[in-house]
Amino acid sequence: MSASDLPPQLDTRLQTVQAGSTILLRLPNGDTKAVKIDKDSTVSLGRVGGFHANDLINEPFGRTYDIVDKKLVLVPPRTLAEVEDTDATNELINDGEFVQPLTLEEIQALKQSGAHASEIIKMQIEQHANYSLKTEYSKEKYKKRKEAKFVHCFRSVTFMNHFSDTRKTFTTIEPTLFNVCDYWFNKDQTRIRDIRVDALSQMLNLANIRPGGKYIAVDDASGLVVSGILERMGGSGRLITICSTDSPPSYPVMVNMNFKTETVAPVLSSLNWATAMRDYTPVGPPVDLPSDQIKSERQKSRLNKRRAASDLLNGTREELFAGEFDALIVASDYDPYSILEKLVPYLGGSASIVVQSPYVQILSELHSKLRSMPGYLCPSVTEMWLRRYQVLLGRTHPTMNTSGTGGFLLHAIKVYVV
Amino acid sequence: MWSTAREIAAGDTVIVWLASPFPTSSILHQTRDFIQPLVVTPGKDFNSKYGNYRHSDFIGMPFGSKVGSRSGKGFIHLLRPTPELWTMALPHRTQILYIADISFIISYLDIRRGSRVIEAGTGSGSFSHSVARSIGPTGHLWSYEFHEARAQKARDEFTQHKMSDFVTLTHQNVCKDGFNLTDAADSVFLDLPAPWDAVEHAKQALRKDRTTRISCFSPCMEQVLRTVSALNDAGFIDITMYETLIRPHDVAQVPVLQPISDMEEKLKKSEEIREIKRLRQIAAKQKTDESAHGEKRKRDDGDDEQEAEAVDGEDVGSGKKLKTEDDDEMADSTPSRDVVNGSSSSRGPAVAFAPPLQKISVSKAIVEVRGHTSYLTFATLLPPMPGASPPASSEDVAPLDSVST
Repeated sequence: MSASDLPPQLDTRLQTVQAGSTILLRLPNGDTKAVKIDKDSTVSLGRVGGFHANDLINEPFGRTYDIVDKKLVLVPPRTLAEVEDTDATNELINDGEFVQPLTLEEIQALKQSGAHASEIIKMQIEQHANYSLKTEYSKEKYKKRKEAKFVHCFRSVTFMNHFSDTRKTFTTIEPTLFNVCDYWFNKDQTRIRDIRVDALSQMLNLANIRPGGKYIAVDDASGLVVSGILERMGGSGRLITICSTDSPPSYPVMVNMNFKTETVAPVLSSLNWATAMRDYTPVGPPVDLPSDQIKSERQKSRLNKRRAASDLLNGTREELFAGEFDALIVASDYDPYSILEKLVPYLGGSASIVVQSPYVQILSELHSKLRSMPGYLCPSVTEMWLRRYQVLLGRTHPTMNTSGTGGFLLHAIKVYVV
Repeated sequence: MWSTAREIAAGDTVIVWLASPFPTSSILHQTRDFIQPLVVTPGKDFNSKYGNYRHSDFIGMPFGSKVGSRSGKGFIHLLRPTPELWTMALPHRTQILYIADISFIISYLDIRRGSRVIEAGTGSGSFSHSVARSIGPTGHLWSYEFHEARAQKARDEFTQHKMSDFVTLTHQNVCKDGFNLTDAADSVFLDLPAPWDAVEHAKQALRKDRTTRISCFSPCMEQVLRTVSALNDAGFIDITMYETLIRPHDVAQVPVLQPISDMEEKLKKSEEIREIKRLRQIAAKQKTDESAHGEKRKRDDGDDEQEAEAVDGEDVGSGKKLKTEDDDEMADSTPSRDVVNGSSSSRGPAVAFAPPLQKISVSKAIVEVRGHTSYLTFATLLPPMPGASPPASSEDVAPLDSVST
């Protein structure tokens, strides 16, 4: 079957940069930054410079640009360069020796005279006493380090804005679930409860998230879990989240996903821990007043508004209480057992239960409780392990620094007790 | 795909869970002895060491039911199939992918509702089912298998699991003959012995109007290096590689650890008892020596040790008795093997001094874990640069203004 025979493809999120998007940019020093793209505005990358937002609108993700006079110039993607190997070793290179005659003052003066970063680095290399002794790998590293440093230097020097010929580049990052999770994990891993992308992926698979499914989620991980579930549901099915705020929950990670409205609106509803209880009765005056008691149009419209909100709430409550959900996913700051006690009754038979915690102790404790309960089939605790490699021709090895933890998961299947 | 109805119907695939509800290892590490797929066929029987069952009795039961055998001995659970359970239960025709790699690849390749995905080879279909679940009926999976019998088996399975509408299986060697697709797929997954031979074909099959991705699954580093070169030559960027594993934990409940002062008391007491006993035995020996030359004639002071051992032995015996009582107590509240094991191994004779038992939950990674599956190599293919003639050299820059007009 060829692609042209297929029905038109459905997209859960935008495929190009659009006005109003919040997109991720990779900066020359490797940092990732989130910026809002507003029409006719100037996007400031602080130290790297600023550019006209309109230049990015309708562009596909993943491209690299130079900022030249606030305009964007497309840079072709870089491929891996093969580094020539030599016999060089560090046999004759000693630490602490005077190798760089170019002083800090001289470098500052060069910068102020308007010299390009690459020229300064070239001079540094020429004057470096031991540069020729270095291996080709080491030379590459040296150049890279200097390049990154100069970008930093330029950032701290405000007059660099006048350096029109300086290469100030960035790359747009497609807001895939993987990239957004990675961004948050590096930015502030505690705000997403240590959920590394491998853990998130396993949670979504273990919970059997699919288009058309019905799920309950408790997400105190800034909305990362909710984002993952919504992405995999693709606008079809139902997701009820239970939150601990009385106003609708703010799931900041969702902003970075750039979901279309039709991906979220028909799928997601939220209750809180009070409204999710069967014995909840709303506090406040009744919304149904006999018509002779309604004194003004204003009161009438206010009542209508409140009635609509109350109907919506009751509808969601009824849906929850009707049960038969396909999975429960919990990443919460509260006692997981107390959460399961409240929500597992709304799961269907054979439904998946996935509980995440940054701490194995929390899940061990939960595991011990569930083991004695016949309604939970095969509770199991797992830990994630992930290692990334630097892949450069002739220089492939695991990265020297890596994340120590991606959190822990408990998984069980709900079964009926005879 | 599989039934989403509440109750089991004739013709449904169910996963039969044969083990105890609380096996010692995690569900992700069960052997196929405990998890078996079954197509409910009225008239057929299901016989196992956990009892005999009639398929027709399953019909109308909700998924997730516990079913007792006809003889009353043994029981099974009937589960709704998921790709994860299918991975555990499926008939192996090849080495298969497991959840850690599968879920990671699906995330990296950005596979979601509506995605169009290529996979080669199909193998035992472990990855295929997971992709099918994620893309749903609005997506499409093109799956290629070069082994004819395996291809036919996979095709039958996909039909049985109602995936044929959106999964196309082709019996073809993609390294030689490619994918017969152009600008069609959002992502490609290659689980082949020589993925580098399929890289150019993959590039052709990937669509060029948006960012697309490729993943290669290879157990050996030498394969990775060749693949990386091929990807680089074909113009893929952001080439990166990961390894991911799962470490299952064993959870046990153990009593709160005793303070060492308990041991101090215990040792003091045992020393006192030993001294009393020694004195008693010396006295007894003297008595014997006085009366006659007995069997213990050759003993001297050095034999104290032996005596002490005897004393300790007695003491341990009494400790054991105490422990057994404790175990029964615990077994009443929590019928868990680990509790018993934990207590008998970690509790010394000091139990005589212990306050009422308090337990803590502890966990450690299981003794033997999977240490390597494969290296996951990923790369990205960007839409061609506007107006750029491929392949662009690194010096070329195209101002956006000039191309947008």
